[in-house]
Amino acid sequence: MNRRTVFWRTLSVAAALSLWWLSSGTLFNPILVPAPHKVAVHLWEMTADGEILFHAWASLRRVIVGYALGSVLGILTGVAVARIRIAEDMLEPPLQFVRNITPVAIIPLAVNAFGLEEPSKYFVIIYSTIIPVVFNTAAGVASTPQIRVRAAMCLGAGRWDIFARVVLPSAWPFILTGLRVALGFAFMGVVAAEMIAAESGVGYLIMQSRNMLLPEQMFSGLFLLGLIGLVTDRAFQFTIGRLMRRYMLQTAAFD
Amino acid sequence: MSWRVLRLEGVGKDFTRADGGVAEVLRDVTLTVERGSFFTLLGPSGCGKSTLLNIVAGFEGATTGGASLDDKPVAGPGTDRTVIFQDVSNALFPWMNARENVEFGPKMARLGAGERKERADTYLRLVGLDADAGKFPFELSGGMKQRIQIARALANDPDILLMDEPFAALDAITKKHLQVEFRKIWSETGKTIFYITHDIFEALLLSTHLAVMTAGPKAGIKEVFQLDLAEPRSPSNPDFAAMYSRVETLIDEEVQRMRAR
Ligand SMILES: Nc1ncnc2c1ncn2[C@@H]1O[C@H](COP(=O)(O)OP(=O)(O)OP(=O)(O)O)[C@@H](O)[C@H]1O
Ligand SMILES: [Mg+2]
Repeated sequence: MNRRTVFWRTLSVAAALSLWWLSSGTLFNPILVPAPHKVAVHLWEMTADGEILFHAWASLRRVIVGYALGSVLGILTGVAVARIRIAEDMLEPPLQFVRNITPVAIIPLAVNAFGLEEPSKYFVIIYSTIIPVVFNTAAGVASTPQIRVRAAMCLGAGRWDIFARVVLPSAWPFILTGLRVALGFAFMGVVAAEMIAAESGVGYLIMQSRNMLLPEQMFSGLFLLGLIGLVTDRAFQFTIGRLMRRYMLQTAAFD
Repeated sequence: MSWRVLRLEGVGKDFTRADGGVAEVLRDVTLTVERGSFFTLLGPSGCGKSTLLNIVAGFEGATTGGASLDDKPVAGPGTDRTVIFQDVSNALFPWMNARENVEFGPKMARLGAGERKERADTYLRLVGLDADAGKFPFELSGGMKQRIQIARALANDPDILLMDEPFAALDAITKKHLQVEFRKIWSETGKTIFYITHDIFEALLLSTHLAVMTAGPKAGIKEVFQLDLAEPRSPSNPDFAAMYSRVETLIDEEVQRMRAR
């Protein structure tokens, strides 16, 4: 980043904080919408006594499990839909229907079906993850240029080699886009689920602070959400940049 | 492996169109391509040249008749016939560098790393790109990419190269260089070439045999020539010029016929 960029970006953050600071106590009740420095102090206390880490890890652990399962299931289903006629006929109708049902709306059902413990959270995250992954994977697999497959056939590739060495690599940019979107969805899903039924996690932290009238804690939770989202997305990008760079060469931009 | 002729016998091809109708593309195409020859197909746009090449490649089945190497019918794609596509950006594997692209065929043949490298070296050198082995397709010009595609095909040691307007998308100067180079590669490797072009000049420069197709639908073979032109071939040679106008007249006739319909 050059000096010009640093200047404007610092100014942007400063402006946002000032606006917040000014509006608390004028526009809003300072008890309900506390000023930033109060939140900062509270955040520091919660970090020092380990509470932040406890809730952050609770949410993160759920996302890791649910997202991993959802991604694998999503890729397999997407490949099946794109490559196997019966799978397409069997899975398209339910998928096309279910994709319209937002993950948040599925939470009460998840609780009814899987209880108040971890399984219902996993279900919500898997559900949030699987939809974008399936559709992107299917689109990627279907978009493999025909002549690329034909070229591989001429060069002696059998069915498996064509799939593993031609179709899948051609689809990676699509699949990765789906996985990145799904990562955001997974966090939305887990937070919503924790707000409705949980004893831990960032969503629980926020909901509890509202019920117990602890606005500093609520803001700390929101800050934490922003931070976790930012860090995981950057980590995702970094990992892709390292491991999958060669597959991204076929697309103009990925960022 | 020791076939002598590629035969197309009574090849007809119909497609079912998207609207449910039938497109009658090819009718009774019969051709003989001798091993080692450079056989070029010319004809009006849309007459069915690519369709015919796809049948030889084994990508599509003929509706009637078929292609065979001596008496062995073509039943599907095989490593004895490799296609060189015009759309090289999609034909190459964008996530593999030049060397990895060239090694793909040998890898599919389960050759060891040593032999794969040796083959890649040989054919990258043959097309003059040994210094660019580590580059990815997006880093290469259209002409360089087409050389990689040729090297990739040759590294698999096929009997026949099936080439569908391989140089048509290149600029005039690159095209001229590649034509000259490719003719050299053909004479050095002794491969059989089945070649499609719209460019009469290119056809006369490269080919040993030339077939002109009639306009579609129900396209067939109008005339076949064996080209015994004076070497080095040049448009300033009288036999070259005479052949040029003869072929041009044949194609014009077909284009007129197509317009009249
Ligand atoms: N899959 C298909 N379904 C229906 N019609 C097809 C199909 N493939 C080709 N055709 C038709 O067959 C005819 C011949 O097509 P083909 O691509 O073989 O022509 P061509 O001689 O290679 O043309 P060009 O010189 O423009 O490349 C065209 O009229 C085309 O519309
Ligand atoms: Mg064509």
